Amino acid sequence: MTLDDLTKSSGEWLKGTGPESDIVMCSRIRLARNLADFPFTNRASRAEKAEIEAHATSAFAAAKLDLDYIDVNALSPLDRQFLVERQIISRELSSSEGPRGVALSSHENVAVMVNEEDHLRVQYMLSGFRLAEVWDAVNKIDDLLEEQLAFAYSPQLGYLTACPTNVGTGIRVGVLLHLPGLVQNKQIDKVFRALQKINLAVRGLYGEGSQASGDFYQISNQQTLGKSETELIRILTDVVPQVLHYERNARNTLLTERREHLHDQVSRAYGVLKTAQRISSEETMLLLSSVRMGINLGLIDDLSISVVNELFIQTQPAFLQKLGGKELGVEERNIARATYLRTRLSNGRQAPRHER
Amino acid sequence: MTCQHCAKPASVHLTERRQGERREIHLCAACARKAGLALPDSPPNLALDAVVQDLIVANVGELVGELAQIVCPGCGMKYMEFRASGRFGCPDDYRVFAVGLHGILTRYHGASRHVGKSPRPRTRAGDRLRLRAQLKAAVAREDYEEAARLRDQLKAEELHA
Repeated sequence: MTLDDLTKSSGEWLKGTGPESDIVMCSRIRLARNLADFPFTNRASRAEKAEIEAHATSAFAAAKLDLDYIDVNALSPLDRQFLVERQIISRELSSSEGPRGVALSSHENVAVMVNEEDHLRVQYMLSGFRLAEVWDAVNKIDDLLEEQLAFAYSPQLGYLTACPTNVGTGIRVGVLLHLPGLVQNKQIDKVFRALQKINLAVRGLYGEGSQASGDFYQISNQQTLGKSETELIRILTDVVPQVLHYERNARNTLLTERREHLHDQVSRAYGVLKTAQRISSEETMLLLSSVRMGINLGLIDDLSISVVNELFIQTQPAFLQKLGGKELGVEERNIARATYLRTRLSNGRQAPRHER
Repeated sequence: MTCQHCAKPASVHLTERRQGERREIHLCAACARKAGLALPDSPPNLALDAVVQDLIVANVGELVGELAQIVCPGCGMKYMEFRASGRFGCPDDYRVFAVGLHGILTRYHGASRHVGKSPRPRTRAGDRLRLRAQLKAAVAREDYEEAARLRDQLKAEELHA
């Protein structure tokens, strides 16, 4: 698999399938793990990082996980940005130095970062609200890796991580939610505050907040010590349905009290995306968010949700440049973005074919 | 609606009242940030590094003097370096700097003891890594007797592999 192959497909997590997928884009769990006899990445020499990487890649092979290893250190800045946009690697892994990489499964459900803040960051993602399934999958991968590698672990403190905020289970349980209703009725701040009170973190699609990220918000646990993995997952599975309930209420109110206004907003957004000749990333995200909600509320019926989900990722700067095969300035990207949107939204409204 | 400062779409809309006159302000996210206006729809800033540093400073108190003297024999990490970065240098640091850790963990996690998954018994490959770690630690603390024992054990394991 090459990065160019990736431009022709998209991750399973964008398919828009699974429970509650009108609001829950995907469920994701990551585990932080470190090899017992090496310094943490921030303290490891180049040679030690290379050794860690070698241990990791041979463990992936021995565990028969069927992953492709991408050597991030050998990638151009554009390719690294491309992987960040796809949620495969973190900004931190993209911008750090020395031997590092990511092992990826064919549908991008599994992504194991090597030499990020921790030696291994094992991530599993599925579209929709399916945390129990995600936990089963990531737990199994962790078991297989544990047969090959000695992880730093203490009976008192659990899995030892570079930052004490991850120690214990090393788990981050998260869901990516699309909340345009709560943004429009301005209740979103209230929801954030309530979540914070019970120790959950809220971030935007790429870490940042605001509508610039298409009304997408990631909710995840902060506590990793003193509660088991299943307890931490249960907190999310208890709380997320309440957020979904508020979002659906907000959407229904918009639909009943401001139907014409909403229909107009959604149709205009769709119209601009289908016909614009140049468009910024920020405006694209804003309009795609309206269109996504419009599909879910039955106001748009000739476009599939998976295409819109993909477009959130495929209108990002690095994707457009990979597609064009060259680096593009801001203005060139705005033209390329509009051209790509027109093509995807007018001709065959299907996802690009998945060839591997 | 476009931003009043640039042509980008506005996402921050404010109404200002000055001497009885109403004035509407429409800005894009970037210009609003420049103007020092908080974005109403952005989640609370999660400056984790700052959170960790504050926790460290707030919870080690009078222990700082004692902790400042400690250097990890394994990775060479000094306590002050941990305090500045919020990151440990190696797994052993949790033991080396244990004195100052309890308060930080309790404040952040509301707990100081792990509950949950523990590693299952490993195959020989894992054992060898563990032995190598123990050997390195033994050498670091100049326990040569233990180091020799571990070295022999490691050799035996490697012959079996």
